Amino acid sequence: MLDAIFAIPGMMLILGALVVPLLPPFVRNYYMLALIAFSGWTVWQIAPGLHMTANLAGIDLILVRAEAITKPFALVFHIAAALNVIYAMHEDVKITATAGLAYAGAAIAALFAGDFLTLFIYWELTAFTSVFLVLAGNTARSMGAAMRYLLMQVASGVILLAGAVLLWRDGAGFAITALDATTPAGFCVLLAFGIKAAFPFLNGWLQDAYPEASVTGTVVLSAFTTKLSIYMLALCFAGLTPLIWVGAVMTLFPVFFAVIENDLRRVLAFSLNNQLGFMVVGIGVGTELALNGTVAHAFAHIIYKSLLFMSMGAVLFRTGTAKASELGGLWKQMPLTAIFCIIGAVSISSFPLFSGFVTKSLTIGATAKEGYFLVWMALIFASAGVLEHSGIKIPYFAFFGHDRKFKVKEAPLNMLIAMGIAAALCVIIGIFPQPLYALLPYEVKYDVWETGHVLGELQLLLFAVLAFVFLIVRGLYPPEIDSTVLNTDWLLRRALPRVVKGLAMPVLALWFGAVAWAQKTILTIFRISEETSRQSGLVSGIASTGAAAGIFLAVFALMLLARLFM
Amino acid sequence: MSDKPEISIAGRRFIAALLLICAGLLVAEFIIHRHAYFALEATPLFFALFGFVAFCIVVGGGVLLRKLVMRAPDYFDGDDDA
Repeated sequence: MLDAIFAIPGMMLILGALVVPLLPPFVRNYYMLALIAFSGWTVWQIAPGLHMTANLAGIDLILVRAEAITKPFALVFHIAAALNVIYAMHEDVKITATAGLAYAGAAIAALFAGDFLTLFIYWELTAFTSVFLVLAGNTARSMGAAMRYLLMQVASGVILLAGAVLLWRDGAGFAITALDATTPAGFCVLLAFGIKAAFPFLNGWLQDAYPEASVTGTVVLSAFTTKLSIYMLALCFAGLTPLIWVGAVMTLFPVFFAVIENDLRRVLAFSLNNQLGFMVVGIGVGTELALNGTVAHAFAHIIYKSLLFMSMGAVLFRTGTAKASELGGLWKQMPLTAIFCIIGAVSISSFPLFSGFVTKSLTIGATAKEGYFLVWMALIFASAGVLEHSGIKIPYFAFFGHDRKFKVKEAPLNMLIAMGIAAALCVIIGIFPQPLYALLPYEVKYDVWETGHVLGELQLLLFAVLAFVFLIVRGLYPPEIDSTVLNTDWLLRRALPRVVKGLAMPVLALWFGAVAWAQKTILTIFRISEETSRQSGLVSGIASTGAAAGIFLAVFALMLLARLFM
Repeated sequence: MSDKPEISIAGRRFIAALLLICAGLLVAEFIIHRHAYFALEATPLFFALFGFVAFCIVVGGGVLLRKLVMRAPDYFDGDDDA
């Protein structure tokens, strides 16, 4: 029984996390690394196919099954989990160490879930473990962001469960397979995935919560939830054409927000959203090349995005701020962090010889091959946008630009090691993509190194850099301003409470009116019953308990609403 | 808009190197054949022009977006977070 439980991928990390708070700091980190390595090694052995089922009250659950795309995701989740532990070695925070490990475990277990009920459990577990990382920001803002984050994550889970139940009602069973998004069940599942994949208008939580987490927490958060959702979208909705357009919009709108956002970790959160867009486009196109592109991009992206968040985390850790308006000139004090950040920046911008180039080219190539001209234009436009915010803005405003004469040390050794490994992976994948290509679901026939393609990419990127230099030299580049940039979370934070308050006023007026009327009526009834009971006992019987419970529930619901929105 | 900044010697060298590379890429355009999927893509210097213009549009779009969505840093701070 016990070995069966441990045979579930990721379970070793979830249960192993329970011991973490009991261990002394020195042992803790190495214990977690050993556990991740062992878990990675066991998961590596799992071949595609059905591996473990269970029957619970007549319902068939598929606890472990692997698809062609499971292995690359499971591998990169383990790499990310290990990097997270190394990056956080300088600190002694039991709660985030425990939550981070369990979170990674839940995400890995979810990859192998074969039915929606099993997925639902891990889906919610990723929410409940990761919220501690946001809370670890330990500010009033992070507290609020954590609650909103949890609300969205749990909502996604509940919608997923609704979808699962509808599937079951339709006689389709709970198995995770290709779904029809036009049925209510399929749409619910798509919506649940869409929330966690930060689709347009469902994206607010990402930019709201991630930058409010602790230095190490943001790095952990950046890897798992959104990519788990990309993985699930690829399993259930590959080839769903509207996703091409959803993805294209996702690549575009964050680009403009990232230009004006001042908090560099929030810039990276917008950038993350834009990267997810490329993956969603690949899923929508759904051809072998496109799906290869999505999986490869997710793999490379987790590493370089983590690297970028690590570098900004190191800056925040040393200087106490991640705001572009307060940073600059740090390359003198933190040269290694600067170099690692630049490697992450050129990787995400997909410069040839770095990981983004050998992965993103597949998706863009797929849109061209299938003749999606507008989408293709959108993606190369978005590529210039990525270069703007992640390629240039992040390193430029942190390490160059206006020298703020900081008196700080280079990042701690463990942070440098974590960033060094991630940077090395970005370069190795960029130069030798074959091992990564071998992990992909289909054979890679696309030649990313075709001379004309490399030339086009270099022209696109370097002339965009030229445009940056031109704007800076002419004084046309907008200055960084400490500000709040409104995003779609505004709907949840401002619009909805206002609407509810607006609606609540007449409701409250009605409520108090009704209460006054009820008091009067009840007194009248008492008076009449007193009078009549002496005669025949006509109205003095026992009232229905069902009605009483109903009234109680109504009052309780009103109180709850009042607490939430007023 | 910010004032024109002082450019350091290192900055000038970077710009000089960038201009040199860009010039090289322009020359390469007429030596190397780019395989194009779309007619527009086959236009000479398409990617160079697109990169430059797209970057300016992104920044310009950001400046316009600022008018719409930029608020004070403490905009949400007074809210009672439920």
